[in-house]
Amino acid sequence: MTTLLEITDLSVDYGEGAGSTHAVNHVSFALEHGEFVGLVGESGSGKSTLGFAVTGLSKPPAHVVGGSILLDGIDIASLSQGDLREQRHGGVAMVLQSGMNALNPVRSIRNHFVDIFRAHGHIDRADWSSRAEELAAKVELPSSVLDRYPGELSGGMRQRVSIALALSLEPKLMVFDEPTTALDVLVQHAVMDTIIELQKKENFTALLISHDLGIVLESAERVLVMHEGEIVEDAPSRQILENPRDDYTRMLLSHYADPRAEVVELPGFEARTPTVSSRTRRQDQKAIVVDHVSKVYPAPRRGEPQVTAVDDVSFTLEPGQSLALVGASGSGKSTLAKLITAVEKPSAGSVRFGDLDVGALRRGQFRQLHRDVQMVFQDPYAALNPLHTVEYTLTRPVVNFTGLKGLDARRRVLELLDTVGLSPVEEFAAKLPHQLSGGQRQRVVIARALASNPQVIIADEPVSMLDVSLRAGVLALLEDLREQWGVSLLYITHDLLSARVVTDNIMVLNGGRVVERGNTAEVLRNPSDEYTIRLLDAIPNPGRRDVA
Amino acid sequence: MTSVTIAPGSADISAAPRIAGSGRGRAWGYVARKAGLLLLTLWAAITLNFILPRLMPGSPADAALAKLAQNGPVSEGTKAAIEAQLGVPTGNILEQYVAYLHQVITLDFGVSYTFYPQSVSELVSTALPYTLVLVGVVTIIAFVLGTLLGVLAAWKRGTWLDTLPTLAGSFASAFPYFWTALLLLFFAGYVGRLFPTSGAYGPTASPQFTIGFLGDAIYHAALPALTILITSLGGWILGMRNTMISTIGDDYVTFAEANGLKPRTVALRYAARNAILPNLTSFGLALGGVVGGSILVERVFGYPGIGYLLFNAVTNQDYPLMQALFLMITVSVLIANFLVDILYGVLDPRTRR
Repeated sequence: MTTLLEITDLSVDYGEGAGSTHAVNHVSFALEHGEFVGLVGESGSGKSTLGFAVTGLSKPPAHVVGGSILLDGIDIASLSQGDLREQRHGGVAMVLQSGMNALNPVRSIRNHFVDIFRAHGHIDRADWSSRAEELAAKVELPSSVLDRYPGELSGGMRQRVSIALALSLEPKLMVFDEPTTALDVLVQHAVMDTIIELQKKENFTALLISHDLGIVLESAERVLVMHEGEIVEDAPSRQILENPRDDYTRMLLSHYADPRAEVVELPGFEARTPTVSSRTRRQDQKAIVVDHVSKVYPAPRRGEPQVTAVDDVSFTLEPGQSLALVGASGSGKSTLAKLITAVEKPSAGSVRFGDLDVGALRRGQFRQLHRDVQMVFQDPYAALNPLHTVEYTLTRPVVNFTGLKGLDARRRVLELLDTVGLSPVEEFAAKLPHQLSGGQRQRVVIARALASNPQVIIADEPVSMLDVSLRAGVLALLEDLREQWGVSLLYITHDLLSARVVTDNIMVLNGGRVVERGNTAEVLRNPSDEYTIRLLDAIPNPGRRDVA
Repeated sequence: MTSVTIAPGSADISAAPRIAGSGRGRAWGYVARKAGLLLLTLWAAITLNFILPRLMPGSPADAALAKLAQNGPVSEGTKAAIEAQLGVPTGNILEQYVAYLHQVITLDFGVSYTFYPQSVSELVSTALPYTLVLVGVVTIIAFVLGTLLGVLAAWKRGTWLDTLPTLAGSFASAFPYFWTALLLLFFAGYVGRLFPTSGAYGPTASPQFTIGFLGDAIYHAALPALTILITSLGGWILGMRNTMISTIGDDYVTFAEANGLKPRTVALRYAARNAILPNLTSFGLALGGVVGGSILVERVFGYPGIGYLLFNAVTNQDYPLMQALFLMITVSVLIANFLVDILYGVLDPRTRR
């Protein structure tokens, strides 16, 4: 093999002078022709900055301050804009993180291809159509997508189109920056399969940037681990998996486990003993009873069928119990959460909390329910008002639900911060959301949910936006709340591993119906429904590449 | 009223839930829907214009009689004559409504009080061309020019192509209309004697379609046109620049660059093409406002357009003229919005659903 890309002593800074930060710090590595290499790291590790530097797309305030990026002996960092543009045919191509938004909403897919063909002139005008169809076929799309606009395609299809567009440049090197992060689990699995197959067939060199060590390990031959702007480990996948050298790599690996295993342990989690579950120390705690509930939405447009989001679902969330609701997107799990919190009314059936009929509540009566049933949202970045301090955010529900005022309210706010492990509490109370990390923000969201001293917490994908190393902490907090305060937990997720560690019971939803339910460990170890098996198979499996 | 046709081939994309129909059927469905909405709002506006004056106490005839009564007693005959002349409504409300609709459709809005005995339609049709040409043409020029400058400013962000137009634009639009008008009037009209200071054409000319008259009209329109251009250009530059800067940061622009498209293609077909969409709404509102004229500018320059007419109608309590003008302004705003909606449908495939 010969070297395609050689990076020597590369540094990229954000900003200039005293206020600048080193995003990429003296990094050196090389890629051989035809290699599939993974670049893994958590948010802020500099992996995307590095990816943008390699593709010559660094934009202010980011700028290369030192080192060289040699592609076939040509330094990309020193090329003029014009030369850089021309080398994009037969050079480096990139597939962006949020491929969903990588397509121009007002241009048809065909025109996206035409724009590239016209810019580089590498395809005869007469062959434009057939070449576009051929490229679509390579990513397993029918040629009819060419006449569609991006808004008419699903997320997975849009990401496939992005890949086909990048491929139309006949690149030597393809940089995939988190290509499947925004996609649904099952779709993610299928798109990764396509990428792996394409790389083998088309024989380009691939650099896969991801926060998910699992995805990287199952597709790449070699893995670069990045931490705080530096590459801390560079080794073949097998060696990373079996014999990691660096502490950081080891820490990342420790957060992976197979939810099907007999014993599942994560940092901060002992293996579960399922008998603890149904006990509760609280008096008068009520169950949530969902009885033959359906939710039908009207057709999105005339002439289309109506949408049944939830289809005849029944279950009971016992006091102090933890129940997982799992399924891919569109399975109806979030709609169920809305029905339980009275955001939506059921089309049929009933939701009861104790003797309260949730579906029959009117606007003025919501407080009776929300005092006891609180919600933790998926996106901690969007769930907090950026203009309000943590103290203000927490004081509002404390005053509204408990009637505490002044010093008493403040004492309660500090107590809540202590409960969710944000100390020193006084310091955190004064902070604004942008001064907190994702994990800290999610703790504030949980503290807000606890302000009314609720009996039930509904957590909708509470850790899916967080870095792996922060997930365990937030999950452990939810588990603690249940054990210490007897809060019942309805845990909504697509992530079967986290479901395995925080819940005792599980329900698998598909197309609005419950397809499987039971004890979490038993269901995951011996799934009987085909859909559950597909979900389990979609979990990145580090051994997959070797088998294939 | 919509007909959805399913394009051939859509069935084999199993994983695409959002695909409805496409092609001509859907496009006409969209136009038909918008046209239906236009007719509905038109009818509502016309009806409101009928109802509102009838909810107000008193009538124009009462006002005229009260004025006469100050000079002595008014005889029954005079009263009847005035009422007949001003068209005090007769019959029940439904008959009045039908008569009113008939008047609206035949554009018969009665006789103006101020310019008695000229009919309202006559006055409006004389003033309308001046306003349409002056304010309309200038509004379109300002939008096109401002948008182009905005695109350039955003694309060359931080260079003099950005700072100069944005600074000058915000500076000029910070002046009130009449102040800019007065400055131009004083320096270009009075001191410099470059342009005439009032009227739509010279004292010797009379309105006709000859090269000579058109030249004279353009010469007279120069100062008011410049006033409107100077004060409105900045808004278009800033609006386009700001939306364009946000689309430049969007992923599809980065991806287009990553694919090595020509900078011109990226700037125009990717960034600007999307950035212009929100500005179309403002453009629609501005176009709708054209017919209302530019009261201050027309007043300062004594320009005989709709704005000037409206000013006279309001100061002289000329009810028939006011009612006709208000109705016309409402209708033109609705029509402008309809046209912008159609334009949106052409430019943005997401709205065609």
